Amino acid sequence: MGALANYIERAGVATASISLIREQSEAVNPPRALWVPFALGRPLGSAADPEFQKQVMRAALGMLATATQPTIEDYPIEAPDEADAGQWLCPVNFAVAEDESVTARLLAEVTRLAPWSAETRAKRGRTLFGVTGAAPHQIDAVARALGTLAEHGNLSEAPVEGIDWQFDMPILVRHLADDLRTFYHEAIAAQPGSDAPNHDALNDWIFDGTALGDALQQIAKHLTEEGSPMSLLVRGLLIPEGRYEGGSAFG
Amino acid sequence: MVRLRDLHEAEAKHMRARADAMQPVDPAPWITPKSLRECHVAIVSTAGLHRRSDAPFNPGAVDYRLLPGDVDFADVVVSHISTNFDRSAFQQDPNIWFPLDRLREMAAANEIGGVAKWHYSFMGAQPNHEALKLAGEEVGRLLAAEGVDIALMVPV
Repeated sequence: MGALANYIERAGVATASISLIREQSEAVNPPRALWVPFALGRPLGSAADPEFQKQVMRAALGMLATATQPTIEDYPIEAPDEADAGQWLCPVNFAVAEDESVTARLLAEVTRLAPWSAETRAKRGRTLFGVTGAAPHQIDAVARALGTLAEHGNLSEAPVEGIDWQFDMPILVRHLADDLRTFYHEAIAAQPGSDAPNHDALNDWIFDGTALGDALQQIAKHLTEEGSPMSLLVRGLLIPEGRYEGGSAFG
Repeated sequence: MVRLRDLHEAEAKHMRARADAMQPVDPAPWITPKSLRECHVAIVSTAGLHRRSDAPFNPGAVDYRLLPGDVDFADVVVSHISTNFDRSAFQQDPNIWFPLDRLREMAAANEIGGVAKWHYSFMGAQPNHEALKLAGEEVGRLLAAEGVDIALMVPV
């Protein structure tokens, strides 16, 4: 981010940067950076809070009037609390029958979540689902594709589901996972009593209580066994750090 | 958050190593812009945002995508490769990454002079930032040609 600011300024356009990782801004030395004490994925601090967002923007843009040399300022206000892992519990509990395949369990989960996910899509009028190339009504195909990869471990061939996948294997795996995570996150957003859970709470749910989490662990194991640099990279892009049962996802 | 001590140990180590490997970029001549109330502002995001019709970003991407100032958020998706942040806040409110509505409100309130016609999106998590030099300078020239005074740089 900071490097990009320096490159852009070479054309005479001033920049004001939001900084999430202060150490990286310090290393690059951008013209004006406002370090904010917010979580990754929340650069303006709080969703659906226009005034909070604008206060952060005013602080960053305000540096254009005050800084006279490369400067990093610290934003002093913490973001409003999100519901953390200890407070948030998904109201939907997926029963596990031991003789079911991970694909069958995934399909059962998306069936139970589908009305909630559809509700959020309708309410928001938008969705982040579909980066793989799938449409929301093709959620079963996405679940089947990921489940099949988990069960069979062939990570060199894209699953055939009649979808024009937007990525090649094995990077497609990472985005299949993201489309499913999006579907799950959009589903819980519609459920009664669901405050916005934070990153850790969402991951606790996905990895401790869903077939999606189990499928991702199985795929990570296949990637580890395959062992190529690309496979290990994809493992780190698939599973958040701290969640891989075999150790560090990037390690 | 985000302080490195709040991240998972392996991720913090990764972020620290990345910071340690970064070199300062030669600064451009210092710019003193006009009053904010007269400035046109564009957003430059490194969240891997793009329109559904665009080619997605792949790991190591050093190119960028255009986001028009009248973009419909329903048409925007994310192909950022990192899984160490969640997308739920952006799902709830796209402005938390790409504050286009906020800029419009600030323009309507005469806090800024106007909102750019074009905004730009890169994929972050770029280990070698020198690889972004050509695209970054190009975006700078495009912003300048449009008459944009300030780029608000928003990471994810």
